[in-house]
Amino acid sequence: MTELIVENVQKWLGGLQILKGASLSAERGSIMALLGASGSGKTTLLRCIAGLEQPEIGHIRIGDKVALDSEKRIQLPPEQRNIGLVFQSYALWPHRTVKENVGYGLKLRGVNAAETGKRIQHILDRLGLGHLADRYPSQLSGGQQQRVAICRALVYEPRVLLLDEPLSNLDAKLREEARYWIRKLILDLEICAILVTHDQTEALAAADHILLLENGRIVQDGSPHDIYTNPTSFYAADFLGANNIARGKVLTLNGNEVLLGGDGWQLNGAVRDPAGLAPGADAQAVIRVERVRVLPEPGAGRIEMQLDDSLYLGDRWEYRLRRGDFALKAHGAHSLPAGRVYADIPPEHVWVFPGQAA
Amino acid sequence: MNANSIPAGRAGPGDGIPTPPPKIRHRGDARLYRAITIALLAIAVMAPVGLIIYQSFLDGPFFSPRSTLGLSAYGYVLTDPMFWEALWTTTVFAFGMVAIAVPLGGLLAFLLTRTDIRLKRTLEILVLVPMFISSIVLAFGYTVSVGPSGFVSMWMRSVLGFVPWNLYSLPGIILIAGLSHVPHVYLYVSAAMRNLPSDLEEAARTVGASIWQVSRDVTLPMVLPALIFAAALNLLLGFETFGIPLVLGDPNGILVLTTYIYKLTTLFGVPTYQLMAVVAVVLILITLPLVFFQRRLLRNSRRYAALGGKGARATPLKLGARGQAIALSIIGFWLFVSVILPIGGITVRAFVSAWGQGINLWDHLTLANFDRMLSVPSLSRGIVNTLLLSVLGGAAAVFLYLLIGLAGHRNTGHSNTVLDYIVLLPRALPGLVVGLAFFWVFLFVPFLTPLRPTLIALFVAYMIVGLSYGLRLLQGTLIQVAPELEESARTTGATIGRTWRDVVIPIVRPGLAGAWALIMIIFLRDYATGVYLMGAGTEVIGSLMVTLLQTGAMDTIAALAFISIIMTAAGLTLALRLGAKIHD
Amino acid sequence: MKLTRRAFAITSCALALAAGAGWAQDIPDGYPEDYAQLVEAAKAQGRVVIYTSTDMAQAQAMLDAFTQKYGIQIEYNDLGTNGAYNRAISEAAANQMSADIVWSSAMDLQVVLAAEGYAETYASPEVGNLPDWAVYNDQIYATTVEPIGIIYNTGAISEDEFPRSRADLIAYLNDNQDALRGKVASFDPEKSGTGFLHHTNDVEQTDDFWDLAKAMGAVDVRTYSSSGSMRETVVSGENVMAINIIGSYALEWVEDSPNLGVAFGDDYTAAFSRLALLTKGAPHPEAGRLLIDFMLSQQGQSALAAGGLPSVRNDVSEGLDIESLGERVGGNLRPIPVSEELLNYMAPQKRVEFFREWNAAIK
Repeated sequence: MTELIVENVQKWLGGLQILKGASLSAERGSIMALLGASGSGKTTLLRCIAGLEQPEIGHIRIGDKVALDSEKRIQLPPEQRNIGLVFQSYALWPHRTVKENVGYGLKLRGVNAAETGKRIQHILDRLGLGHLADRYPSQLSGGQQQRVAICRALVYEPRVLLLDEPLSNLDAKLREEARYWIRKLILDLEICAILVTHDQTEALAAADHILLLENGRIVQDGSPHDIYTNPTSFYAADFLGANNIARGKVLTLNGNEVLLGGDGWQLNGAVRDPAGLAPGADAQAVIRVERVRVLPEPGAGRIEMQLDDSLYLGDRWEYRLRRGDFALKAHGAHSLPAGRVYADIPPEHVWVFPGQAA
Repeated sequence: MNANSIPAGRAGPGDGIPTPPPKIRHRGDARLYRAITIALLAIAVMAPVGLIIYQSFLDGPFFSPRSTLGLSAYGYVLTDPMFWEALWTTTVFAFGMVAIAVPLGGLLAFLLTRTDIRLKRTLEILVLVPMFISSIVLAFGYTVSVGPSGFVSMWMRSVLGFVPWNLYSLPGIILIAGLSHVPHVYLYVSAAMRNLPSDLEEAARTVGASIWQVSRDVTLPMVLPALIFAAALNLLLGFETFGIPLVLGDPNGILVLTTYIYKLTTLFGVPTYQLMAVVAVVLILITLPLVFFQRRLLRNSRRYAALGGKGARATPLKLGARGQAIALSIIGFWLFVSVILPIGGITVRAFVSAWGQGINLWDHLTLANFDRMLSVPSLSRGIVNTLLLSVLGGAAAVFLYLLIGLAGHRNTGHSNTVLDYIVLLPRALPGLVVGLAFFWVFLFVPFLTPLRPTLIALFVAYMIVGLSYGLRLLQGTLIQVAPELEESARTTGATIGRTWRDVVIPIVRPGLAGAWALIMIIFLRDYATGVYLMGAGTEVIGSLMVTLLQTGAMDTIAALAFISIIMTAAGLTLALRLGAKIHD
Repeated sequence: MKLTRRAFAITSCALALAAGAGWAQDIPDGYPEDYAQLVEAAKAQGRVVIYTSTDMAQAQAMLDAFTQKYGIQIEYNDLGTNGAYNRAISEAAANQMSADIVWSSAMDLQVVLAAEGYAETYASPEVGNLPDWAVYNDQIYATTVEPIGIIYNTGAISEDEFPRSRADLIAYLNDNQDALRGKVASFDPEKSGTGFLHHTNDVEQTDDFWDLAKAMGAVDVRTYSSSGSMRETVVSGENVMAINIIGSYALEWVEDSPNLGVAFGDDYTAAFSRLALLTKGAPHPEAGRLLIDFMLSQQGQSALAAGGLPSVRNDVSEGLDIESLGERVGGNLRPIPVSEELLNYMAPQKRVEFFREWNAAIK
């Protein structure tokens, strides 16, 4: 069931357009991640959905309510949108206890005291906070605060749960755990959730669907797997994963197959975005680090390269390779001596995009 | 499908539309509340100001049917040599005051924020005391201690054979006004200095600069905006100062613009409101640019402070034993001159019936001056009214400032700019003139007339006079509430009103208590606003002192001044108890 | 219950009548027979509002006596001379007159009020007991006679030394310029209506005022806006003498200041009066009339004299009256008559001329 429809939302800040027509629709029981670099407009889009920012143009429908309609000049204030928002800083009210923080939404909705108490206790217990109900936020750890913030946003069963970088203030270990239980919670409760993040791992692991934003525009959307393995733009390819970038010129172009070359190197690849690609044109290729194999001996399709160094990363080794102005990173299980090596780079994993010169 | 949603004449979506289409504002923005509050405030401020400007273009009182429009009042004032003399004196006075207060205030701020000076916590409070004493009380106090027959002067004469100063000269008055305005500078400069990261100073010290070189070459340039701001503020206060020139300047014919206004009440036998209004307009024209300049500075300095960052930990510079001694004695001497001398003077005068050359004060000790407070109803009423106005009125004012502050809180509309300017306008006018204008407003606006003989009339005038200071206090408190705390209430389902009630106000409550205490002191020390406005039943201590000065009942004035000091001290203690952030 | 209330009403009526009858018997000679009605109406109004320039302490005895006698509350507004005048005309313009009586020492402003129609005509039955100069048009009444004098610091000048006449004073100032420089005080006519009145009256009444002004100018006279602040400086020794101050105050002050002397000119001592008038549109007109009569009555005048404001009558039981005061100041007391003459110096041209001459003389 579709809970949220956003169509062509445009927003200006002063003379600057920071959202250039974003559209999306989100389902119940699924998590949609808004992923992008800082300044891509992902948080602005979230705040537009929440009603905290007022876009000049667009339509937003939450559940069965029109929250924004720029032609009819409808713009619902946040409190009428029936959403829950978890802030990056958690934004717990310092003068209220955990119980009062969580219960505020119920109080505003006129739920009676007995019912309120029951529901607060239920959700707190569920998130393992039952024993902290009477504490003040300042007496809680960061992870506990974050869980209180989620309880507060969920307890009144909003149509849409919005999460603004909810994990960024947690340390690395807690973050991995939270990623898991938040996803489980949302799926169990069958809520429609929108998660804003700049962390690709978070988006890949937690979301059912990812929207990738660049400069106020949605550049790609799809499942995590789809986005990771089938990027349609250089930005999308480069934003996700750990990558090698090869910049050179198109030497030959044959349908989908392309030969890219630079100072002392040539590389076979597959065209991902044909716009502007022609022999002699600038082009750039994205190669996922995990797709490169480094071998001590030559073989079919392998490129001879110079190994400068092997770095020990604990679970594996990282190799730094070079040929002319083409630098390459790769991983392997063993340390290799510096010197001549051979890199195996499957052409279908050399994603070629037009060069950035334009 | 998206093409429909784009207004005609604009490019397609995402094509970098040059100008944004008009905003659609939602109704949950409390826009109506903001508009009404700001409009009401605008009326409250513009009514007196407008009346004064109108009056200045008449040739008689505005309420007289015989008055006609014209520029004759401007003609008289602008050709009156006395006016030009007063203007010149005022200018010298204001700049002289700045020349004394700014370096001293800056030095004090440096010593108390950047060095390891001893007794820091006590001094931080003590240095603010002169700011809280009404300047008319200060002036009376000085005549008794360092006037030509003052007890300090007499002692000086017995030691040196002559008195090396003349309190009643222009330099004497400037010195006193300058010293008493040091806290105003200290406040702003110390706030700026607190935000400075100390690594720059430390770096300078490690390359071998002395502490004075550091302060000159490193600290000073960084707090220059704050110093300029404080200078502008003091210039403004200098142009509007009334109490000190009235008491100390008048007998020797030293006239400033405010006392010139006061003199115009008598010069022609009958009131020449049009002339007074002209001088008030001149004052507005002088001070308004200063006010706007200040506003710009304040904006810039906020940006500047934000750059400095909060987390900057200041490691104090070491003064060393000699440095400590020098610094402490500078501060000690300044405190002696600007606190002990005047308060001592007033205290002595309040408890004697006669003083001066050849008089043994012990022979004239008396409590009779205070007897009058009880036996003369207007005096005892004055004390009660002053308490009511400052305690209850102060609380009510804080409440109103809070309502106004909320109207401007996170307000992005044009009304906020309007609000900014409205707030600054009354600051361009001396309290004396604001009081007179409100007297007229309450006299001639039909539905307000029943309020004139009540304290409400005074309260409104006080509220407007204290507006810019009070609102800044409140805004400073409100801005400390993180925006997400409000946004999270909104997304949880609270309207903007509920958000203010349930989140914003509870969080700022401690700040409100402190603001209340400070406003209380501001109302307590005011003496100019009530001069024309008060009547039987609505007397206040400060203005009673001014009117009593007309008949010269010095015994009573001294006793009132003493009571005023006691009340101020109590207010200040309360403020500190409530954790008022005097330093903001 | 009903009965009780009616009984109460009857009783209070009877009491009121009895009280009225009692007053009727008390009516002094020369008062009209229907005066009791005025008293009744005044009592019904219950209060009376005064705008004044007189320190409440000095009027207290008179005010208390009035309230005690009639049970009418007095709302006393000490606004200063200009304050009283300004407020009266502003309120009249707004049709909000809240004063019944303006009682001010600014004689000229009082005559202006009457001339401009702000005063109600009321012929007080006490007129017969007052000198002719003290009544103007049945509108303004002089309530006091207050001599204009000099105070001096007896530590600096002994009583024997102090000049007795105007001519002596001028000579003294001229002969002791070095000792007196910066230590002579006088009223500033620009800032004080009282000072203006004192000085301009001298200009009219004597022919050596400008000599005196020049002599004061030669010792760098310092000018003040009140007698009280001059007293403060003379007692403290800051000034040696203060010229043309309110002598009735000075007569009180010398009682409790050890080093203060007061002097009046044997040849000429001017005196001003505090003038009372009933306002047009007074909210409590009968109470106002009653208070004017009381202020002028023997009882009221005695109370004022006891408070240090010498009586304009000659039959008070306490303090100074016009006769004893005349003796005290050396026999040449010349009260300023309440008349249109006082308007002369209200003309801006005349004022400006005076100020110009004054400033030229003292600078």
